Order: sequence, then structure tokens, then C-alpha cells
Amino acid sequence: MRFLELASRNLKETYRDPLALGFLLGFPLLFMLLFGAIFSGDSIPNYSIGVIDGDGTPLSHSFIDEVLTEVPTLEVANYDDTATARKDLKFGDLRAYIVIPQGFGEQVSQNWEGKETNITLDITYDESDIMTSEQIISIINTVTRSFARIEIPVTINANPIHIETEITFIDFMGPGIIVFGLLILIPTSARIMVSDKEKGFLSRLLTTPARPLDFISGYSLCLVVIAIIQIVIFIAASWGFGMDIVGSLWLAFLIFLLTGLCSIGIGMVVASLSKNENQAEPLCWLFAMPLAMLSGCWFSIEMLPSYLRIIAYAFPYAHTIESARAVLIRGVGLEAISSDFLFLIGWAVVIFAIGIILFRRSMRS
Amino acid sequence: MSLHKVEPAEASDDFAIQTFNLTKIFNRLVAVDGIELNIKKGELFALLGPNGAGKTTAINMLCCLLKPTGGTATVMGYDINRQPFKIKELIGVSPQETVISERLNCWENLSLIGKIHGVNARELKIRSQQLLETIGLTGRAKDQVRKFSGGMKRRLNVMMALIHNPEVLFLDEPTLGLDPQARRAIWEYIVRLKGEKTILLTTHYMDEADFLADRIGIMDEGKIVTLGTSTELKTSMLEKHTMIIYAWNLTQKVINEMRSRYAEVEVTNGTMIITDKQLDFKEIVDRLHSSGAVIRSAYIKEPTLDDVFLHITGKELRE
Repeated sequence: MRFLELASRNLKETYRDPLALGFLLGFPLLFMLLFGAIFSGDSIPNYSIGVIDGDGTPLSHSFIDEVLTEVPTLEVANYDDTATARKDLKFGDLRAYIVIPQGFGEQVSQNWEGKETNITLDITYDESDIMTSEQIISIINTVTRSFARIEIPVTINANPIHIETEITFIDFMGPGIIVFGLLILIPTSARIMVSDKEKGFLSRLLTTPARPLDFISGYSLCLVVIAIIQIVIFIAASWGFGMDIVGSLWLAFLIFLLTGLCSIGIGMVVASLSKNENQAEPLCWLFAMPLAMLSGCWFSIEMLPSYLRIIAYAFPYAHTIESARAVLIRGVGLEAISSDFLFLIGWAVVIFAIGIILFRRSMRS
Repeated sequence: MSLHKVEPAEASDDFAIQTFNLTKIFNRLVAVDGIELNIKKGELFALLGPNGAGKTTAINMLCCLLKPTGGTATVMGYDINRQPFKIKELIGVSPQETVISERLNCWENLSLIGKIHGVNARELKIRSQQLLETIGLTGRAKDQVRKFSGGMKRRLNVMMALIHNPEVLFLDEPTLGLDPQARRAIWEYIVRLKGEKTILLTTHYMDEADFLADRIGIMDEGKIVTLGTSTELKTSMLEKHTMIIYAWNLTQKVINEMRSRYAEVEVTNGTMIITDKQLDFKEIVDRLHSSGAVIRSAYIKEPTLDDVFLHITGKELRE
């Protein structure tokens, strides 16, 4: 099998090059270490909570805007429905969410008029995170009582849900940094292919009976092996840094592998379009860096304006991070992430097809 | 499409390489201008010419790396346009640049090419050993080649074209940049292959073409300007002879006498250079001797390929 010979040659060229290897593996690990160090320090607790205003009266508005928002330890986000809030709670973006039931304004104004009425709030939180939940409940209780000017405790319909793990920083960052590592595969793939073209090695091999598909499979196989090694090391490192793995490791691995294939495909396209390494490298970084930022490698994609989110979702990486987080942290199965999964498969197939067509064409010239 | 389609029937069995009006035009630059070559099986043919003459382009078309703009060629009876993969199985190519896999060792580089050609492991081992011995790299066989000197890499570069025992060998400037000793080693190996394999070699070293080639085609500006054996090319120059005499006591009288007899006579500092269609060595020496001149040395200058080249193209071979 000619392509196996080519793949083994390509692998030797890579693993015997300490610089390339260090770049592929060391760079993302360095990020992991840095982020870990920066964000693991003690800081004042700051709880993100979601609020769903089911009452919709001026009183409920002012309760949210003038009371809850003013509490220094709370970061309040408004939600329209419980489903979204619940999703963010599962993701770890929220610590709890409050539903202000219909009649809340009525209850408060009755209290203001001197008729003692019980006030009800629904709070949903992660039961495994007892410390935080209790703090939040007690904060909400206090501010609501002072707002309604009542002495009796507010009835809080506590609605604990089970979220399997406590979501820590590394749980959130792990998948992002793994994807960052896979983005680095773009310049690496392009470099391996372009340097053979530039140095005439490809020409030399083109005087042998090796077929264009032998070359393409030779490169792809080598890069897939690199991607697998990367993924294994990164998952192991994230785990070592404290990432809890709840869901199926195999499913997460498959998601990352598909992402790796997309990166290799992009690398192949860039390699076909560039004449030498000096052209290919910057072109790749032009892809990889903005994509890392847009896809949510370093911060939540929710922070992006909507038009940037559209761009981010056009590429595979944001889908990878979201579905990998869902699988690794929340333990969801394939059915829950099937749309992301299919998107990744589709992307990998299409970019590989384009890569193969372009690379074959570039070999002929 | 080829301008000059050749059916395999036209290609003769005696020839390993035949070109038919083979042409390559890059943008508007005519790199190879309709060359016609017939290289016999087992022949060592050298394309001699300055850099940029089109030698490498010609070779690249013959080893199916470049599609010709016009014309065609056959290698071992197969058409370069229509049966490139048949050709690729039969040829070995040593490119002009040193093209090896830097982080692979000698064995690995040789076996990569060998395995692509389907050479079995046992044969591969034997052949690798032989080749590495030839180029004196047996002791360094397991070192990554990036640590090698330019000359060592160059030698490996040539041997990579031979590992699969090809029938036709293309050697593009095989000794470019090598020291004299390494050049000799490669030459000796090429000489050993003579007769056994068909070899097309390009070079801009005249001595290389002179020493190795059965026939030489002088190439300039995309054309083969003249073609023949080394002796044929040089004798074609013999319409003019040059005699050089170093002597003391050259009198004006004898100088004038020579000038009256021969077409060109130049005298500087005790050196007389006589050029004409016919020169009688003995007569010139006798006349000078009897005029009282003391001859220190005298000889008829043999034409070199450089003279041939200069004569045909009006240019020096080396820039």
C-alpha cells in the first residue's frame, strides 16, 4: 500500500521535528495551564441568576430592575422562558433561576397596604451545589422581604434539580482548549503538504507510480493519527487539571475527531491554494485565530453579537464546543446533540471533498 | 492536445526515448522548442547546455511531470501524454535540486521510493546496501539525512533514482555542486550502468558530458543546436586549426613570413598563435628553427566542447 508508506514517512517527518511537535501539543497545554492559573484564585462570589418575569406588572419590573440587579453578589439576567434558563443552568452559566409567578405584584401591594399576604417565588437551582444554593436562597429571601416590607419569611418554592457535576472552570474551558488544539491542526496540515510541494519532494514522488489519491491519503492518514494523539493528550490533560467527565468519552472523542478532520480539510485547501510555506502559514492563522475566538474557545459564545454568532455557527468549531460540553459535562447522549453531530459530519465531508479536488489540481500544475 | 500525435506503432523498438516536435511554452516563453530526439536503448545521452537552455523542462516532460504544449514523446514505447503511469513504473529520476526527506535516514529514504515502486523487502535491503556502499554512506545509513553535508545528500539524491532498478534513468545535473572526488564516484557508478540502462543526463559541465556520454546534444534556448558523439562534435570544429608556439628569438622576418603564409598570426611576448584551415606542424617548426628561434614548446590545440559550444551559439558555456 503506497499511501501507508507515504503516511509513515509523513509521520516520521513530524514526530522527529521537536518544534512542530511542541507547537501542536505544547501550545494548547500552555493555554490550559495559564487559564487554570488565572481563574482558579479566590475571589468574591458572584452568582449568576436568571429571572423569568411571569407577573409582568410594574411592581415585578421594579423588583427585578431596582432590587435584584442592585445586589452586589448577584448577576441578574432576564429570560423569557424557563427552558432557556434551565439550559444555561445545566451548562453552568447560571447558578439558579427565579420565576416570579403571576400575582406577585398583587401580593406585594397588599403587603404595602398592611394586609399581610404570603409572597411566593419559585427558585430552581442545582441541588448538588448546596452552599451556593443556600446563599442565593437566603439573599433572595432577604431582599424580597425588605422590598415587600414584611416580617414573615417569603415562601420560596424551592425546585432543586440534579445537575450531575459541579461545573468548574476547567469543565467549561476544557472542550474549548481542546478545540483550540484542533484549530492548530490547520497550519500544521497546510505546512506538511506545502513544504513537500515547495521543496520538490512532491514532484519527485510524482515521477513514481504513486497516484494523487495515494498522496492525499498518505497526508490525511498521518494527520488523523496526529489528531487522535492530540485529542487523547488534551482530554487526559483536561482531566488532570480537574475536568469532570460525566458523559460518554467515546462520543466526545468522535466529536473531536470529526472536528480534527475539518481542520485537516481546511489545511488541505490552504495548501492547495498557496505556493509555499510563507504563504500558507499566515493564511492559516488568519483562519484559526478568529475562529478560536468566535467559536468560544476562551469565552462563552453567548457574549457575541448575533451577526458574529451566525459566522461562528457556519464553522464546525462552535458546534464542537457546545456539543462536547453537553456530552462531557452534562452527560447527554447522541440524540441530544444529533444536529451538531450531523453538521460536523457534513462539514468534514464537504471540506475534504473540496480539499481533494483542489489538491489534485495543484499537483497537476 | 498534442500537435503531433504518434501511434505506438511508429515508435521504434530500438529506441528507449523518442521525442516528436516536443514543445513547452510557459506563458510566452518558449522553454523547449520542438526538439526531436532518438535515444537508443542502453545509450547514455547527455543534454549539454547553459542554465536556462530548457534541459530540465525537457526532462520533466519526459518523466511525465509536465504536460507538453505541443508534440509528444515516447519512453520505452509509451506515450507521455497517454500512458504516464506506465512510464513512471519504468523510470528513475534524480532531480536537479536535492530532494530527500530530511528527517528520514538513508535507509528510509531509499526504501520509501523502493516500496512505492513495489520492490520487496529482501531485494530492497540488498540494493540499499549496494547503493550505500557505492556512495560511501554505509556507516551513516541510520543517521537522519538533515545532518549530512551537501555532497552526501547529493549522492543519496542520485541513488534514490536507482533503488528500484529502473530501465530508463533521468539524471538532471547529477554532480551539481559536488567536489571533484564525489563527482568521480558518481561518474564511476554511472559508467558501470552504461549499456545496461538507458540514461538521459543533463549537465552544464563539458567534461562530464565528454567523459560519460555516448552522444551529446547541445541545447540552447530550447533547441538542440547540434548532436553527435564527443569526437564528432569536436571534429566538426576542425575546419580551423590553432597552433601555439612558445619561443625565444622570434624575428620580425619570420613573423612576416608566417603572416604571408597563414590566415591569422598573433604574436605576444614570445608566444605565437597561428590559425588556419591547414597547418603543417613540422614545416612551421622547421621554418622557425632555421630562422634562429629557440622553440620551448609547440602544439596544435585540440578543440574542446566549450569551443564547439562557443562556435555554435556564440556564447561561453559557463556564465
